[in-house]
Amino acid sequence: MKQIIINELKMLFRVRVLVYLTALFIITLIMVTWSGSAQTSQQQQQQQAAGEHVREQWESIDNMNPHSAAHYGSYVFKPVTSLSSIDEGINSITGNVLRLEGHMQNEIIYSEASQTLSVSKFGKLKPSLLLQYIIPLLLIFLAFASVSSEKETGRLKLLVLQGASLRSVIFSKAISVWMYGLLLLAVTVAGQMIINSQGIGKDSLIRITLLSLVYSAYYYIITLLSTWFSARLKTNTASLSSMLGLWLLWTIFLPRIWGNTTDKLYPLPSRQNFTAAMQEDRSQGLDGHNPSDKRSEEFKQQTLAKYKVTSLQDLPVNFDGLRMQADEEYGNAVWDKHFGNNYGLLQKQKKFYQLSGIINPFASLQSTGMALSGSDMHHHLDFLQQAENYRRTLIKTLNDQHAFGGSKTGERAQKENNQFYRSISQFEYKMPSWKLISIHYVTDFLLLAIWVLAITIIVFTTSKKIKLA
Amino acid sequence: MIAIQNASLSYKGKQAVDSLSLTVAGGEIYGLLGPNGAGKSTTMNMLLGFLKPDSGKTIIAGINTSEQAGTSRKHIGYIPENVNLYPYLSGIENLDYFCKIANLHYSRQELSGFLTKCGLREEALNRRTETYSKGMRQKVGIAIAYAKKASAYLLDEPASGLDPLASNELSLLLKKLADEGAAILMASHDIFRVRETCHRIGILKHGVLVNEMHTSAVTANELEKIYLNYMQD
Repeated sequence: MKQIIINELKMLFRVRVLVYLTALFIITLIMVTWSGSAQTSQQQQQQQAAGEHVREQWESIDNMNPHSAAHYGSYVFKPVTSLSSIDEGINSITGNVLRLEGHMQNEIIYSEASQTLSVSKFGKLKPSLLLQYIIPLLLIFLAFASVSSEKETGRLKLLVLQGASLRSVIFSKAISVWMYGLLLLAVTVAGQMIINSQGIGKDSLIRITLLSLVYSAYYYIITLLSTWFSARLKTNTASLSSMLGLWLLWTIFLPRIWGNTTDKLYPLPSRQNFTAAMQEDRSQGLDGHNPSDKRSEEFKQQTLAKYKVTSLQDLPVNFDGLRMQADEEYGNAVWDKHFGNNYGLLQKQKKFYQLSGIINPFASLQSTGMALSGSDMHHHLDFLQQAENYRRTLIKTLNDQHAFGGSKTGERAQKENNQFYRSISQFEYKMPSWKLISIHYVTDFLLLAIWVLAITIIVFTTSKKIKLA
Repeated sequence: MIAIQNASLSYKGKQAVDSLSLTVAGGEIYGLLGPNGAGKSTTMNMLLGFLKPDSGKTIIAGINTSEQAGTSRKHIGYIPENVNLYPYLSGIENLDYFCKIANLHYSRQELSGFLTKCGLREEALNRRTETYSKGMRQKVGIAIAYAKKASAYLLDEPASGLDPLASNELSLLLKKLADEGAAILMASHDIFRVRETCHRIGILKHGVLVNEMHTSAVTANELEKIYLNYMQD
């Protein structure tokens, strides 16, 4: 096997067209990796500047009523990670700025796709486009005739007469093309690590390693299958058209067909319905800004009873602050219910979509690629959850200050100084570790491994049946 | 030694070989004459172990080729009508590669020796084979078998498409190999080249060996007449 692999690689690099093509590809990959990293770095700088500006604004608040500060609110930014420059996943369509304020949970806004025509139409040129679509296509072109040309020229007979087994010929041919794919993958990964050497920690290193393994597995499936078709089918044309058909099916048609089916099976409520349902539930609760509201009255009576007083003026705390917090907590419960419902549906969609990996390894590659690059749905939902948790802490801190800060009910002139506002910590997003994320993708990892194993067994057991006479 | 013992094979619904028996001893060149479809290639494929006879036996160096194909192939040198080498490798690299597949590791000097012995000129050894003529590629093909120390050579239409000089060089080379003890079976429809090269000739028609003779017993013209008589029936 070793001799055949060495010979194949030797010949690959003696075909001048392929050498030029490889050089062009490597240059393109490096440029795309560099430009992806440059875009990411620019975004990171912009976000950092915007974050510092927002913080400066917050820290400059002085002599302001805490509840007014809750309405004043703040902004948080979904961080762009270095790894997302390989695969930006859903980042370009989800938005990256979230306004945090009292009484409401806002939607994340300013997606790149909504601001740039080219991004909305074609997506961004990221290494993932080359790694997921173009390199596999190149591998198909290299492998589709690898065995059939040997058969047509009679060299396969000569090889077998020299003692090579058909199995070893097929595996060697596939492995040599696979190694070519790995070279291109290694260039991208090395480029990524060199360009972003400062932003790569242990977690990122593990993610990059897993990402390389996942791509390697997919390239192995593509090359071994192409080589097997080349050995089994009668003509080069049949082998090429079969593999191209499969490539189209895997990358273009099946993801859309399966995606649409997923949407039909587990439909998410429309934005309008979602907002209407939230408002409807919200209207059933206490209104912090309406003291004559029936539920506010009930809460007032409960509070008076709790403090064993008969009027709000006798309360040792500011009832306005307590009511605002009660309003907030009710709103949080409503959000939890609706967001939780959506989250559940998204989980079901994700799980159903993952099953498409049984017939389409590309789906598993795409899902795990996004996950390991930190640009998938789970990372997005995790950001939203962390931002919401921060919002709740922030608003509760402000409401508690309003309630327990020494003022009495109705004292609208209560103001907090700059020191208080500075004491409230800034939002810091903690990216989930690769372990936490990988739990959601066990199915994809497993299906890719099964594909690798299954295709190896199929080729191993059927290669003997190929006729040479 | 090459031996076919009462072998029959129907292939794709047709009786391709019918009760064929022949023997080629070491040091002998046997020419198997016959038109297209006579069963020459089927006979070759049975000897190579790629086809199994329905009945009878095919034997190379005392080994049954259908039962122990792998072992028998170690003794076979096969030269097809077109020896297609790897075009981006030189003659010496091609030979080295095929030898290494057979687990034979030769020095560059030894490889050069095999090629030159088989008639390839020194200046061509390091040239890519994409520039080689058919005759030159055939010499590399024979060198592959020679380096393997094959005791049985099977040649399928080797002279087809060769110019007279290359064809003559091939004859001389085969005679040299026979002199060294190799058993050579050459399938062809080139009457004159077979007459020129072989010790014995068999005429194959519809899978049946209809005649067998020593070349010393017939002239080229007589052989042509005999052959044409069979073909006109």
